[in-house]
Amino acid sequence: MNSMTRRSFKKAVIGSALALATLGASSLPAFAADKITVGALRFTSHAPSFVAYEKGYFTDEGLEVEFKFFQAAQPMAVAIASGDVDFGITAISGGLINLAEKGAVKVIGGGLQEEPGVNGQVILASKGAYDDGLTDPSKLKGRSFGITQAGSSFHYMAAKIAEKEGFSTADMKLVPLQKVGAIIGALKSGQVDAWSIVPHIGIPLAKGDAVVQIGMVADYIPDYQVTTVFTSTKNAEEKPDLVKRFLAAFSKGADDFNAALVDKTEGEDGANAMITLIHKYVYADQPIEKAAPSIQNGAMRMNKGAALNMTNITDQLDWFKAEGLVSKDIAIETLVNTSYVETF
Amino acid sequence: MSDGLRESEGPESPAKPVPFRGGGFLPKPRRIVAPIVFIALIAFWEFGCRVGFISPLILPAPSEAFDAFMNLVRTGLLWDHLAASLQRLLIGWSAGTLLGIFVGTLIGLFSLARSGLQPLVSAIFPVPKIALLPLFVIWFGIGEGSKVATILFGTFFPTVIATYGGIDNVDRNLIRMGQSFGLSKLSIIRKIILPGALPAILSGARISAAIAIILLVAAEMIAAEYGVGAYILLAGSLMATDQLIAGVALLSLMGLVFAWLIGQAEKYFLKWR
Amino acid sequence: MDLNLRHISHHYDEVEVLRDINLDIRRGQIVCLIGPSGCGKSTLLRLIGGLERPTGGEVLQSGEVPEGCLNPLTYIFQDFALLPWRTVEANVSLVLEDHDLSAAAREAIIADVLARTKLADFRKAYPRQLSGGMKQRVAIARALSVRPAVLLMDEPLSALDSQTRELLMDDLVDLWEKEQYTAAYVTHNLNEAVRLGHRIVVLSRRPGEIREIVEIDMPLSDRRSDNSELEAIQKRLWNLMREEALAADRELLDV
Repeated sequence: MNSMTRRSFKKAVIGSALALATLGASSLPAFAADKITVGALRFTSHAPSFVAYEKGYFTDEGLEVEFKFFQAAQPMAVAIASGDVDFGITAISGGLINLAEKGAVKVIGGGLQEEPGVNGQVILASKGAYDDGLTDPSKLKGRSFGITQAGSSFHYMAAKIAEKEGFSTADMKLVPLQKVGAIIGALKSGQVDAWSIVPHIGIPLAKGDAVVQIGMVADYIPDYQVTTVFTSTKNAEEKPDLVKRFLAAFSKGADDFNAALVDKTEGEDGANAMITLIHKYVYADQPIEKAAPSIQNGAMRMNKGAALNMTNITDQLDWFKAEGLVSKDIAIETLVNTSYVETF
Repeated sequence: MSDGLRESEGPESPAKPVPFRGGGFLPKPRRIVAPIVFIALIAFWEFGCRVGFISPLILPAPSEAFDAFMNLVRTGLLWDHLAASLQRLLIGWSAGTLLGIFVGTLIGLFSLARSGLQPLVSAIFPVPKIALLPLFVIWFGIGEGSKVATILFGTFFPTVIATYGGIDNVDRNLIRMGQSFGLSKLSIIRKIILPGALPAILSGARISAAIAIILLVAAEMIAAEYGVGAYILLAGSLMATDQLIAGVALLSLMGLVFAWLIGQAEKYFLKWR
Repeated sequence: MDLNLRHISHHYDEVEVLRDINLDIRRGQIVCLIGPSGCGKSTLLRLIGGLERPTGGEVLQSGEVPEGCLNPLTYIFQDFALLPWRTVEANVSLVLEDHDLSAAAREAIIADVLARTKLADFRKAYPRQLSGGMKQRVAIARALSVRPAVLLMDEPLSALDSQTRELLMDDLVDLWEKEQYTAAYVTHNLNEAVRLGHRIVVLSRRPGEIREIVEIDMPLSDRRSDNSELEAIQKRLWNLMREEALAADRELLDV
């Protein structure tokens, strides 16, 4: 606790020193740096923002970034709606769509993307269920499946797995447990049979005795747009320049991340340098030797240029409507502003 | 002043009434005020939403919350949610209260229980039961067990404290009187100590009923398909604020009903006061 | 049944409360215990009834317990000690419920004692509805219901106003005239002592020792409040107690 506080203090000092230095050194004082607040979770999936910050891409775009860290995506979405945070990265959820319907937030770009062959979200079974015959996702019928809440990304994944395996979601017992920690506990103690989760959590779990990996989400939703970049509707409509500059810096960060950890074109040294950089933000309470595999595990494909998979986003929105979790009248334009990035 | 009999006719200075300085400091309930305040507040809220100075993001209109509530009634889900929650509340609260009275009585009566259990109770009471939720899931499963256990744990400790506090406050002379008439230990406990502690136990029940409702939302975080708490949680994660308000109103209604029931119990059991 | 106190002494931690008390309480007699406040007279009463154990000496019972007696040594308390959640009849019933009595027998006893204490009309009343004097009558009825061999009364009239006290004193006298009960009666009120006591035991200040035992032969029914003989005895008692009371008063201030 103490060391963390000291560390974040140090970081704050370095951060402001950096900001001051760049301000002072800037030979082009045509515009003062715009201050923005970026919401983030301490997950590898939020790395592009960290990279963009550490490598000065935000500064290059004339942005002075302050990070605000959250424990879960939901409060981050609310903070963006309330105007306390400018940009965030999160999965599409019922809550996010309803906030968009209220005119508070807009999806503006892509983040994480499932891609067969690349590290991706995994499907897990408890040891008990595995021994009992739940050896691959096709046998999920009649089994219990952990989710945080109805309308969460976990709910969507479960539904898609069921659909592809030819049974209905109702044939599975979806168990809402609110928190990732609670699902892990329930899975380890065999109270739920199965779960799907991002690799940096799932792979270490599967290495333990209580949990077995039985599949990959990418096999069921190959084009799954896992996370998206979003901002307040006000920013999206009134400050297009600011949004563009943020996305440009974010994309550069994503490119570096993909190159170093997903495509591995930078060699071992490049990967290590990237992991060291990310370690400042993620698993900072663990020594680098322990954190490195977890960070590497979490390296999923980031959308190039923050491009957005509209096919899948539309599918997600339709699924939420079909489940009755959001109003049937919500148009895709209400949720997404497609003017900033390429869509496919 | 020479004529003592004619007291009413004072000398020159004119008579004036003694200024009244008493009164006040005695607030009395005025029945109509509460509904007026309540209705005025709701009307203002509705008006604000209609006119637009309260944005739907900040607060849904009361009429929308009412629509959400009517939706529950129409689909019949209301009864599923209420039945699930009431069952959990009833089992958890009664078990917690009974166990709490039992342990509280032990602490109130026996030195060994007092020295052994009282510090333990004081240590565990302030622990937020929500923090223990992951453990409850492992101990009691994700079925009804962990939900009932959360409410049970939450109501157990305040009842223990209320009970032994009540027993400590029973007039020692009454106990000595019982002993002097040769009453058995059991009779003294049953007929003197427990009835004497009953007022404290009942006001403890008031608090524990409120705590049970507070914990309902936490209890229904774990694998609850139905329940008022589960409904509120889902509404929260979907940012469906109209449903959220409807659910919260339902909770506070339940709180009012419980308080009223305990009030009736107090009237019945404590009519001797 | 008689009670014999033999060399009773008592300490509370370091404080010596009573020293070598020897006293007989004989059947059919009212023994009044008087003394300055803090002299240990209430403690002595608790020792007599077995609510506390003396540090030294012993209290002996001798002779047969009267027929039908349910609780030989029965107290009447200064603060009445009624259960506020029980009605008058239920308060009496409380002390009968632990005994092997049929419901009818119990009911008969309750009706009898309430009649004797003139409470028959108040059976269903709760203590809070009764005046202090009525409450003490309920406590007396309750004590009578167990047919005690010895009544142990701890300042039973001290919590009452003087008029009520007079009335209840008359009641106690009437009752004794009818049934000649045995009693130890603690009081600080000398007038009560001379009106009710066959023997009056004067205790010294702490540690309490017996200073003198005064016997009064006059029948209780003849003792009127304006009786000159009684007044003389009361004066004598007061002279005995005066110095003790003064000294005890100073002692308390020193503490």
